[in-house]
Amino acid sequence: MSSDDELAERLRNGDEKALRTAYDRHGAAVLYLAQRLLGNRADAEDVTQLTFVAAWTGRDTFDPGRGTVLGWLLGIARRKAVDRLRSAQRDVRTTETVRAQLTPADEPESPERVVDRLVVADELGRLPDEQRRTLELAFFDDLTHPQIAAVTGLPLGTVKSHIRRGMANLRRRWEVDGAAFGSRQAGPTRAL
Amino acid sequence: MQHLDPDRLVLLALSEEQQDTGESDHLAQCAGCRHDLSALREVADLGAEGGDLRDLPNPPEHVWQAIEESISASAARTAETAPVIDLAHRRDRRDRPARQRRPRWLAPVLSAAAAAVVAVAGTLAITGLLDRPPTETETVTAQATLAPLPTVPASASGSVEVLSDGFMRIDVRNLPLTTGFHEVWLLDPDNPTRMVSIGNLPNRSTVELPVPTGTDMNRYSLVDISDEPHDGDSTHSGSSLLRGTLTS
Ligand SMILES: [Zn+2]
Repeated sequence: MSSDDELAERLRNGDEKALRTAYDRHGAAVLYLAQRLLGNRADAEDVTQLTFVAAWTGRDTFDPGRGTVLGWLLGIARRKAVDRLRSAQRDVRTTETVRAQLTPADEPESPERVVDRLVVADELGRLPDEQRRTLELAFFDDLTHPQIAAVTGLPLGTVKSHIRRGMANLRRRWEVDGAAFGSRQAGPTRAL
Repeated sequence: MQHLDPDRLVLLALSEEQQDTGESDHLAQCAGCRHDLSALREVADLGAEGGDLRDLPNPPEHVWQAIEESISASAARTAETAPVIDLAHRRDRRDRPARQRRPRWLAPVLSAAAAAVVAVAGTLAITGLLDRPPTETETVTAQATLAPLPTVPASASGSVEVLSDGFMRIDVRNLPLTTGFHEVWLLDPDNPTRMVSIGNLPNRSTVELPVPTGTDMNRYSLVDISDEPHDGDSTHSGSSLLRGTLTS
């Protein structure tokens, strides 16, 4: 976490190399979010570009006390992608394409949900190794606590404690950075 | 009342074990445990759905190059349009346009003297002369005078110039203090729910922000400066401070 704080500090101080660090660290998540929301690669790359340029010009407004660099970038990207979708929807020629993108065959996923998944996945990647490993076995391999103990060779009590602490860490991060928190969930009509 | 054990809540959230009757009864009565369980369930679901996020591909390098160009164009313009410190510096810069075009990312390898020129010019640009005519590198394609909305002190004011290279120069005065930040928008006057976010105003009076490529300036002709709280909500707060219509 300290490296994220340091990155935030460098960004706010106008260190241009910090933007590249942020891009290396979080560009993939921003691109993924944009691609999920927009459904095509070219627009997703455009939005990724706009997001990092806006992050740079708006770096004065980043408040590390309110969330992480990733949470902030995803907030910008979500707005840029939604703007792009709105303007595409106005365009008669692309209406059908947009409709197709917005209602894919499988269940559509809300922008907030994608942001939340990215935030939780990012936190998972930051957990201490054993916490992360036990949670991965629970999440992705669907193993029970005793199975995880057997696979890892860790005592059952240790597995329990890793999973409880890991879950608490994920929850805390989700509550700080997740799209569902602090959002008033209001639409653009608020400008009126 | 005995609350559910934290380890037990996790097991239930992961659906590894089922609630027994006593636990169901407790959950029915205890909002705290219910809240904890539902938050942990949500986190478990989000975590389990994150399998495909572990090794996301990095964006291609050309995206980074576009970011870099956009930012160095903006930075170079700030330096170029700054009031010139003295004629020697101006000549120096004009004679060597290649250096001027060099991305600011390379600033650390420039000589200390050159870096100092950029720094001084940047400082002067921020203090900014407002009625300075545009230089040969940029022409003003549209402009607007921003007036305060009725709820805003009458001393608040601003002006906007859209530049030929796709940037907007925004100058604001006497905006009410905010605990959040100020954001610039372009609205469709025929349908003000339609808008494009241009960016945030840093804590100084004059700034240039890139207009998103492809923005229809004939449609989005109403400039709006809003007061935005730090609430994680990227949509317009509904609290507009200044507005003005772009004319060419
Ligand atoms: Zn309880």
